[in-house]
Amino acid sequence: MTDVHIAATGTALPGDPVDNTTLAKMLGASKEWIDLFVGTRTRYFGWDPATGEVHGSLADLCAEAAAQAVRASGLGLADIEFLVLATATPDTLLPTTATEVADRLGLDHLPVYQIQAGCSGAVQALDLGRSLIAGGRHAGLVIGGDVTYRFLSPRQDAAKIPTNELVNYVLFGDGAGAAVLTAEPEGERIAVRSVLNSWTGRGRQPGQLLDWYGTTDRDSDRPMLAEDYKAIEEHVPPIASEILWDLLGGLGWSLDDIGFLLPPQLSERMTARIVERLPDCAAREVSCVADTGNTGNALPFLQLDRLVPELADGDRALGLCVESSRWIRAGFALEKV
Amino acid sequence: MSAADLTGLDAFLRIVGDDLGLDVEHPAGADLALTEVPGWDSLNLLRLVVLLEESGHRVPVHRLLEAQSLRDIHTLVKEYG
Repeated sequence: MTDVHIAATGTALPGDPVDNTTLAKMLGASKEWIDLFVGTRTRYFGWDPATGEVHGSLADLCAEAAAQAVRASGLGLADIEFLVLATATPDTLLPTTATEVADRLGLDHLPVYQIQAGCSGAVQALDLGRSLIAGGRHAGLVIGGDVTYRFLSPRQDAAKIPTNELVNYVLFGDGAGAAVLTAEPEGERIAVRSVLNSWTGRGRQPGQLLDWYGTTDRDSDRPMLAEDYKAIEEHVPPIASEILWDLLGGLGWSLDDIGFLLPPQLSERMTARIVERLPDCAAREVSCVADTGNTGNALPFLQLDRLVPELADGDRALGLCVESSRWIRAGFALEKV
Repeated sequence: MSAADLTGLDAFLRIVGDDLGLDVEHPAGADLALTEVPGWDSLNLLRLVVLLEESGHRVPVHRLLEAQSLRDIHTLVKEYG
């Protein structure tokens, strides 16, 4: 497939960072435990951790990140020929958050797609954007974001929360990120050399559940979210290594060719554990989770935004992403041209 | 619940069984290695820390990590009062 290029990135994180003291108070939990076992220092919520009052939506964050990416790209809105938005937590089922973001940006008369996915959605958006450009489009927006206001709230009863639900409170935060893709090298001139996007969950139990209620089952007591953190701890590190080798092998690159590595971002501690188990290489790690928390579909864009100023001509980078909801392997290979 | 309530091993094992929902035999389960306690993991450690604090027992998490068994944890509960 013809290379596409990342011309620019943008990000949006709501409000002030929420530190572990505040998170512990919100949950009635132990700051020391969060420090030791999660390691993530701060995250952002589009709602007040003291009162639960919601200040902003996913559309707010995605529109902010997308507008920033377009401005940074040097392109005009008239140049944007498609929009793809990936999320696990849309503001409404319909209209899609993707169309709401298009409207806020002032876009009209263009294809707008929404991908329902966990953390691999950003890579799925990149994959779809690449296909659209291969099909003749010249430039477009890919966006990823997630928000927690429907799933987390101040409750101060950590001891009563089932462990597979409690873990989500200490991992996740809100955020969005975006990138402008172009057919020709423009802006930052980062070529997307390869995209890996492969579902490998046949016959496997989900690692992450995110449910929703409708009018007929709104009183159900089934859990809205649950994470099989033991399965994730066991399976994500080896899968991350396999993704790395798949990307390298497909391109004929060696480990020594890689200047930067963007590993999966689960929590500061878990990401460190994944990186320890990756093959030794000199590549610099580009992570954000310790500062941003796990922002789901925003994560690869937040990492890209940190990578962009570091990349020099000829530098190569690999991004790795494991979606544990149903075990999707995802990743990408980049080269500044 | 007052701080004194958990100074007895039975009361301590009761909250592990009833409130954490772990299947621990009384009193033999107290001496099982934590790795052998069914369902014991880091998240249940967090829930236990919260339960202890709610009962007036503030034990530093880094000390709890030294514990090899529920009896060791209970000893720390008594030590920190």
